Amino acid sequence: MKSMKKVVGPEYNLGEKIKTNVYAVGVAMQESVYPHTATVFYPRERKKMPDNFRGFILFDPDKCISCFNCSFVCPANAIRMKEAPNKRYYPTVDYGRCIFCHFCIDSCSGGALKATKIHDVAYKDMDEMFTPTEEMIELPEIIREDKKYVEYEIEEDDLHLKRTKGEDYLFVDVPPPIQIPMVSQCIDRASCIGCRVCEEMCESGAISSSAENGMLRMKIDTDKCTGCGLCVKECSMQILKLERK
Amino acid sequence: MEVINTLMETVMSNQVSIPLIEPMLDLLPEIPMLQYMVAFMLWKPLFAILICPGLTVGGITLLFFPWIERKLCGRAQWRVGPHEIVWWLGGVIQILADTLRFLFQEVIVHKDAHRPYFLQFPFLSFMIFLLPLLFIPAGTIVAIQTPYAIQIILALVCLFPLFILGLGWASNSRFAYIGTVREAFVYFAYEIPFIIAAIAMIILYGTSDPLLMASRQSIPGIILNPIAALVFFIGAAMATSRMPFEIAESDQELCAGPHVEYSGIAFGLIYVLCYEKAYILSALMTILFLGGGSGPAIAGLGDLSGVFWFVVKTYLVLTTLFMLRTVYPRYRLDQGLKLGWSPMLCLALIGLAISLVVVAVRVI
Amino acid sequence: MEETEKDRNIRILHSGVFTPLRRWATKWSLWPCHFLTSCCGVELAHTGACGYDMERLGTLNMGISRQTNFIMVEGTITRKMARALRIVWEQMPDPKFVNVIGACGQRGGIFWNSYNITRPSDIVPVDFFVPGCPITPESLLRGVRAVQEKIEGRDNTTIRFKHVELPSGDGEENRAPTTPKIFAPTPLVRVDVPRDVDWAFGNDLVKNLKAQLKGLYTSITITDKNRIAIKTTPENLVETSRKLSDTMGVDHVKNVNVIDVPHERKFMVEYMVSGYTEELMPVILTIFTEIGREAEPEIPSLTSLWESANYSERELHDFFGVQFKGNEGMKGKFLLAPDTPDTPLRKDFKLEEEQYTIEDGVPLTSAITPPHYMPPSSSLSYSESELEDLKMPAYEDVLKEAEKNDEFVAFIGPHHSGSGHLRWVMRMKGDIIKDVIPDPGYVHRSMEKIAENRLYIQNVPLTERPNITDPINMNLGYVRAIENALGIEVPERAKYIRTIMAELSRIGAFFYDMGIFPLFMGHSTGFMYSFAIREMVLELMVRMTGSRCTPSFIIPGGIRRDISDDVLDRTRKFTTAIHKRLKKYENIFVYNPVLISRMKEVGVLTREEAIRCGIVGPFLRASGVEYDVRKAEPYEVYDKLDWEATTGDAGDCLGRIFGRLEEMKQSVKIVRQAVDAVQEMPRDGVISEEILGDYKEASGDIRGYLYNVYGDLVLPKGEWTSVTEAARGTVLYSIISDGESNVPYRVRIITPCWMNLRGIIEASKGERVADFWTVYASFGYFPPEADR
Ligand code: SF4
Ligand code: SF4
Ligand code: SF4
Repeated sequence: MKSMKKVVGPEYNLGEKIKTNVYAVGVAMQESVYPHTATVFYPRERKKMPDNFRGFILFDPDKCISCFNCSFVCPANAIRMKEAPNKRYYPTVDYGRCIFCHFCIDSCSGGALKATKIHDVAYKDMDEMFTPTEEMIELPEIIREDKKYVEYEIEEDDLHLKRTKGEDYLFVDVPPPIQIPMVSQCIDRASCIGCRVCEEMCESGAISSSAENGMLRMKIDTDKCTGCGLCVKECSMQILKLERK
Repeated sequence: MEVINTLMETVMSNQVSIPLIEPMLDLLPEIPMLQYMVAFMLWKPLFAILICPGLTVGGITLLFFPWIERKLCGRAQWRVGPHEIVWWLGGVIQILADTLRFLFQEVIVHKDAHRPYFLQFPFLSFMIFLLPLLFIPAGTIVAIQTPYAIQIILALVCLFPLFILGLGWASNSRFAYIGTVREAFVYFAYEIPFIIAAIAMIILYGTSDPLLMASRQSIPGIILNPIAALVFFIGAAMATSRMPFEIAESDQELCAGPHVEYSGIAFGLIYVLCYEKAYILSALMTILFLGGGSGPAIAGLGDLSGVFWFVVKTYLVLTTLFMLRTVYPRYRLDQGLKLGWSPMLCLALIGLAISLVVVAVRVI
Repeated sequence: MEETEKDRNIRILHSGVFTPLRRWATKWSLWPCHFLTSCCGVELAHTGACGYDMERLGTLNMGISRQTNFIMVEGTITRKMARALRIVWEQMPDPKFVNVIGACGQRGGIFWNSYNITRPSDIVPVDFFVPGCPITPESLLRGVRAVQEKIEGRDNTTIRFKHVELPSGDGEENRAPTTPKIFAPTPLVRVDVPRDVDWAFGNDLVKNLKAQLKGLYTSITITDKNRIAIKTTPENLVETSRKLSDTMGVDHVKNVNVIDVPHERKFMVEYMVSGYTEELMPVILTIFTEIGREAEPEIPSLTSLWESANYSERELHDFFGVQFKGNEGMKGKFLLAPDTPDTPLRKDFKLEEEQYTIEDGVPLTSAITPPHYMPPSSSLSYSESELEDLKMPAYEDVLKEAEKNDEFVAFIGPHHSGSGHLRWVMRMKGDIIKDVIPDPGYVHRSMEKIAENRLYIQNVPLTERPNITDPINMNLGYVRAIENALGIEVPERAKYIRTIMAELSRIGAFFYDMGIFPLFMGHSTGFMYSFAIREMVLELMVRMTGSRCTPSFIIPGGIRRDISDDVLDRTRKFTTAIHKRLKKYENIFVYNPVLISRMKEVGVLTREEAIRCGIVGPFLRASGVEYDVRKAEPYEVYDKLDWEATTGDAGDCLGRIFGRLEEMKQSVKIVRQAVDAVQEMPRDGVISEEILGDYKEASGDIRGYLYNVYGDLVLPKGEWTSVTEAARGTVLYSIISDGESNVPYRVRIITPCWMNLRGIIEASKGERVADFWTVYASFGYFPPEADR
């Protein structure tokens, strides 16, 4: 190809050898006198992470529609759903597996899962790494020894560490994702065999069945349906589909 | 009584004089015995062994120089080095912690090692490495004064690699083996130019008594014969396995070569060996090229003024030696050997010639 | 009660007269042994470098196990590595501590059901577990602090959760759903599904091929632009290939692949080949054939024709038990450990299934069958047989032969400060290397098997795990294969942002390699400077994506969310800062005369040798082959920007390093141009609406709908191959879909490091021993990437 650039390594004669030696020594001397230190003194200060940082996960049971999306999408199978006293399924996270990809948060249309900026944790025991739903609701406490936070700033074309006194916040409350109302629809009524799987699955009681001419007829209440898609996934005949309201 | 008196006379005739503390010393006769003890302490040979350049300053060097090195390198490398341990002092006692940790750790002797030698060599070499200090004067203070001091020091310095070979041999491990062979090679490469450079200076000054040498350096040797100084410095870097020549111990290739199997305090000793070596060679360099303890006398310090200048100059050389680590990557074995056998040998000979010329000019 | 190994270490510290001193000294002198086991090691390097400087806490990384007292198990311990971990631990003097960092070493992380991983906590007593994938430097340091506290006597987890009661009430009993995955029961697996494309040259080529291969082929199909599938029979395979090689100028193998189709009782074997001639460069010819599915099926090897197929054939022999006749490495295992299940990639070997609900009594930890290496309960009680079991293979025959020839053999790695996660058996005569025998697979984490058991979207984080130093490019390859299959056009803005990120990732990988290289050369300043610059790149990454090393940000159809103007501004500013710091780095390291003398004319690969070994990427270009995927088959917006690819013709270490240096500078140029272009563009969505379907509103930010959109992604039937120029060379993804399942039927990943392995060995033969590390580092070898 024509546009490729040929790169040739340098070849030194004696003069250049001396010059490059001097340069190398020069840099070392200059840096030991005026260092461009780039060190963050964790644990006594902490780097300020941006608000979209992916750390430990919080959960809000009020917003959860038990759609299982988080569990299904988790690549590490770290989220498993546990039945709560109110018979609903809520997520639990196993930090012994979680890879902090936040696919779960990006899949939770209700905004029940939220990110925190907590990431510096050490567990004594592997069993403790499993976090039941009950412990995901409030922001946990971590050992903090930091008195300042640090940000990387570019000034005069060089990296500077900007230090500010105070503790960095660890939780950002982001607004819930935009709502796209979806609803479950039957696309082929004739094929329904009346197995009632969808009714059993539905968390919000939107699907009901009634006997009609000795046959079971399913009915979907569009107002109650949260569009979680559980019934769609489980339908034995694969005749349910999520559609826009 | 007779014996004690003669002894006291010798002791008193060769005292370190420190004007600053003289008033205090005058008070001492009131207290029995202490007077004698202080007198002994200030007896020059003993002072040399115990304080400077001997155990105290040596010990301080071994304890703090690694810290200085780590801090300085850290600085040049955009970081900070040891810090959190007593952070308001910048972690000065880091090396103490490391040493103590080694001391309290298990010493493992693996099955393949030659057990007696494996354990003896670190201690033996630590002792041997201390010997040259007896002949190195700090200012005017020296333990053993002989006209052949430089030769003796050089002879002792040339013994070092033998002990490293011993370490590697006793370890009986593949990497230790390669490292040991490399050490032997490098040893041959630097030794000759190194000794020639020293001899050049002996010729230049017309003496090999370090005290006399210092007094004859109205112009420091490094200016009179910069070539020999360069050769000597590179030789010292090679002898102490400093960076461009860290060939025998190269961590990434041979896992520290001869030291790979050592653990606990045995390794702790080996770890300081390299600093010990560097300290002695820097001291030697100070004497040969930087005028030893000469320097503007500091009022009130008396003899200690020489000690002060000696220590400052030695540390300067040490720092330079250690800062090489931040600048250079490592040479390959054959490159190191080539460097030793051709350019360095030539330079050493040129250095020798310069010395002869200078001597001749002076005579004329 | 018997004292556990963990307690013993603490007891040693707390006994004797000097207890306080002992505790204090040990606390401030925890030297971690440099036991790089996996990709989390990248973050360990960052913690050691100037960004965080672990040495502050007295924690000095040291290469030699005998002199250290702390292991940080960095992520995955594979079956092969398990013994090494135990050996290293046994080599360390008491008292010693172990932290496991990274999810892989805990309950497996993303590799939880891999057939080749083990649990470090079974092998050595572990003091602390640090979650993350990879851990951040902060959390790593938190782990160190926790150990320090433990030495002081406070053995605590550093996080406290608050318990909140869940709402009670009597809802209705609901059934838990089963699984979102659909596996077709009898999938139709085809690799030569024809596709209508506008490709004139292809039609000519097919005509030409048909003429050349008369009587040798069964069918020749155009499966996509630049992709041609040639079906032949096992008997004609060698002849077909020879014809191609002789008459068409086909000179290297890009990929060897075996596909298991149990219900049709056959294996499909394919070779993807191409040539480095001007017109053949972007084209991939897939020669494939079918063989019966027996225990030890045989097929002739093409190694004698194209040496670049060698290691891939050996790898596939491990995976499927297929015998490539003529390849010498068909005895024993190459990539896998002795206790790994046999032929794990055959479809009848099943991985553990996901569980979506949790019930009391069901273990959290996945089962590993057959059991992996387990040491005795105490290090004080080894029996003879257990000791024997602990030993690493000793290569008796190599030793014997070496002895005959008066050579010396050194075993380097997997725990060695200059080996990486790999074992090398080096035969040397004097100071000259006679031969190097690689023993890879210490980080083989069964990427390909796992990928065929997960949803397409779940493989996005998986594909970047092999190489977290260059995650975006790894991701991009996989995602592009999917987009190509679905025929999706990515929004312009997303394309530009992807390009920015891909180039940043390339810069990051360059500085990673150029940080490890100085280390191998004993130049710690070079390491520090280069990691300081890399820290800046990671800062940009974290601002863009929320994660330092594993963004998982590129998804089919675009990127997860749009990037703010502030971050774009920062990106431009950072590029100038990178230049400023780079200058210092160059002066102290790259142009250092000692370094130049170490690199010059060392490890030379001529053009022919380079092609024969099958090396790729900047290293191939350094030998004079002008092949850069970004130019040959432009993707994203590379054809719209002004930049130059680099070549060289020296083919030595110097050429490779300087070639990459120049390439990195070009990357900075690309980033700047792309940033300028993005800032001019309207913010009209970064995810293609074709893929979003009903969820069009999410085109600026996928949050909330990731699963809804991507959960049921199904690719059309056929084989979809993408080549991408990653930092270290061409990464090739080949996804085979049956058109019904929402999981891939087979995913083949060929990473550049895997291809470069052969090059390293060829280049270091005949050099001096110390040069091995120069050559090794000049190839930027990253073992997790090679082992996958
Ligand atoms: S995705 Fe959100 S709403 Fe759905 S089950 Fe998980 S937490 Fe609940
Ligand atoms: S962040 Fe990723 S790995 Fe962790 S629970 Fe969520 S989806 Fe699973
Ligand atoms: S996949 Fe890599 S980065 Fe993630 S935990 Fe495992 S070793 Fe660490």
